[in-house]
Amino acid sequence: MTEWEYHPSPDIDESMSESLRNFPRQPYMLMYAIRSVVAMLLRGWMRVYHRLRIDGRSNLPANGSYILVCNHTSHLDTLCMLCSVPLRQIHRTFPAAAADYFFSSLPRSAISAILINALPFDRKIKGAESLTVCSELLKNEGNVLIIFPEGTRTTTGEMGRFRSGIGRLVVGTDLAVVPCYLDGGTKAWPKGKALPRPRKLSLSIGKPKNYSHLDQSSESVIAICKDLQDAVAELGRSRQ
Amino acid sequence: MTYQAALQNEVFLTYLAIIAGLLLFAGVMILILRVSGKNVSGVWNTYRGWLVMVPIVIGTIFLGRTAIIAGVALLAIFGFKEFARATGLYNDWWMTGLVYFGIILLGVASYVPDPRLDYDGWYGFFMALPAFVVGAILLVPIFRNRAQGQLQQVALAIVGFIYFGWMFSHLGFLANTKYAYGYILYLIFAVEINDIAAFTCGKLFGKHKLRENISPNKTIEGAVGAIIISLGIPWLLWFSFPHFEPWHLVVTGLVVGVGGQLGDLVISYIKRDIGIKDMGVMIQGHGGILDRVDSMIFVAPIFFHVIRWIHGIREVAVS
Repeated sequence: MTEWEYHPSPDIDESMSESLRNFPRQPYMLMYAIRSVVAMLLRGWMRVYHRLRIDGRSNLPANGSYILVCNHTSHLDTLCMLCSVPLRQIHRTFPAAAADYFFSSLPRSAISAILINALPFDRKIKGAESLTVCSELLKNEGNVLIIFPEGTRTTTGEMGRFRSGIGRLVVGTDLAVVPCYLDGGTKAWPKGKALPRPRKLSLSIGKPKNYSHLDQSSESVIAICKDLQDAVAELGRSRQ
Repeated sequence: MTYQAALQNEVFLTYLAIIAGLLLFAGVMILILRVSGKNVSGVWNTYRGWLVMVPIVIGTIFLGRTAIIAGVALLAIFGFKEFARATGLYNDWWMTGLVYFGIILLGVASYVPDPRLDYDGWYGFFMALPAFVVGAILLVPIFRNRAQGQLQQVALAIVGFIYFGWMFSHLGFLANTKYAYGYILYLIFAVEINDIAAFTCGKLFGKHKLRENISPNKTIEGAVGAIIISLGIPWLLWFSFPHFEPWHLVVTGLVVGVGGQLGDLVISYIKRDIGIKDMGVMIQGHGGILDRVDSMIFVAPIFFHVIRWIHGIREVAVS
């Protein structure tokens, strides 16, 4: 007779706030149920209140892991991106979120982890470590990572410079990177305002890009960042 | 059982006074020990856990029958969840969900009136539920068309439902009885006193190990001491069940004294077999929910059926 094997959850001796902040998170039934319901409500809300239009949905890769990059004007960006992926992929879609902002307190961690499924990204001290977490995540089939390479929300409306993180994550891999551009975020929810205003939003999804032909060097990192920044800006220009 | 009734109920108010007094006394004792230079951080942590739990439990009983049944069902669900997460059964969402559903049905059975009789709590449905839920659990592998490893999942789910769900839910069903305040408050109070007595007697006189392969800290002296104290408690709390004859008090005391420690040992060997120390971290200074209610799970159904045999089903289920 073979012995039974038990598989205790790795977070069994962690408190709630610890297990919310840790990544990868353990799956919880209630968490998945809440997230699915919220994702459906969010889709309805975005369509009605912001009249969200999504162009180029067919550009999203059907299988394999990929990265979505987008300009960052407001918190609505993340929500729009979450609306763009198929509903069944919602639990495997992880927006990289600044750990110092979105995981600073227990209520914020709960909202970020349960509703948004955010990946806590340390943009101050352990940036390299957070990038390792991201690349581990993308090694598994079917995961989607949402990244705002500008690193912070723009206040001017002009798109900021893309940080090197996205380049370092992609270089030397054959990951698909999908550039996106969200129009209207600055007007709909300016930084510092408590609530979004009912302004029109439209999201353009570009053709996926692949950088497997580039070698692993710092020049390639810069080139990737530059290329993605241009691609996103180009989507924005073609919008107007 | 409503909150107006609780305020009029002498049994409830007396327990309120006793428990408040004991908590105050324990607090003062810890303070004295601390002033005299003893290290009390561990005890203080446990005490703070009590300060959170006691108001929640008393508040639930104060709110009445609905709150008690819902509270017991919630505790059973979260207790089972700890068991499922510790064993790895939680990865099987169909099994886990089915047991959750079964526990919710137990709450419903405790709450709704028996359609053919005029009292609250559908005893027949409550007692029939294990057959249906176990049947449903056994069908899961058939629907999945899979045999590999299924016996373990099925067995864990059945233990989870019967022990942490069905047996524990008897506590909620007691809310339908005529002496609900007395029964429930006595049971919770006596079980916790029994736990504390076993711990304290073991610390003071403990020499011989009780079950060294299961729980090395428990001693025969602690167990005997706890049984003696538990035998005395019903006499002090006779007002909880004024209709009891003296030999009922002896049986009641034995059920808590022996059953409480057996329940503790059951959780101990489950944890030891899995290889974990605590079932969770839900309650500060106490571990998980199952580490706290372990004794109650074993005692509640035995107490329930003992009073049912003594007084008959009508006495158990008259609102």
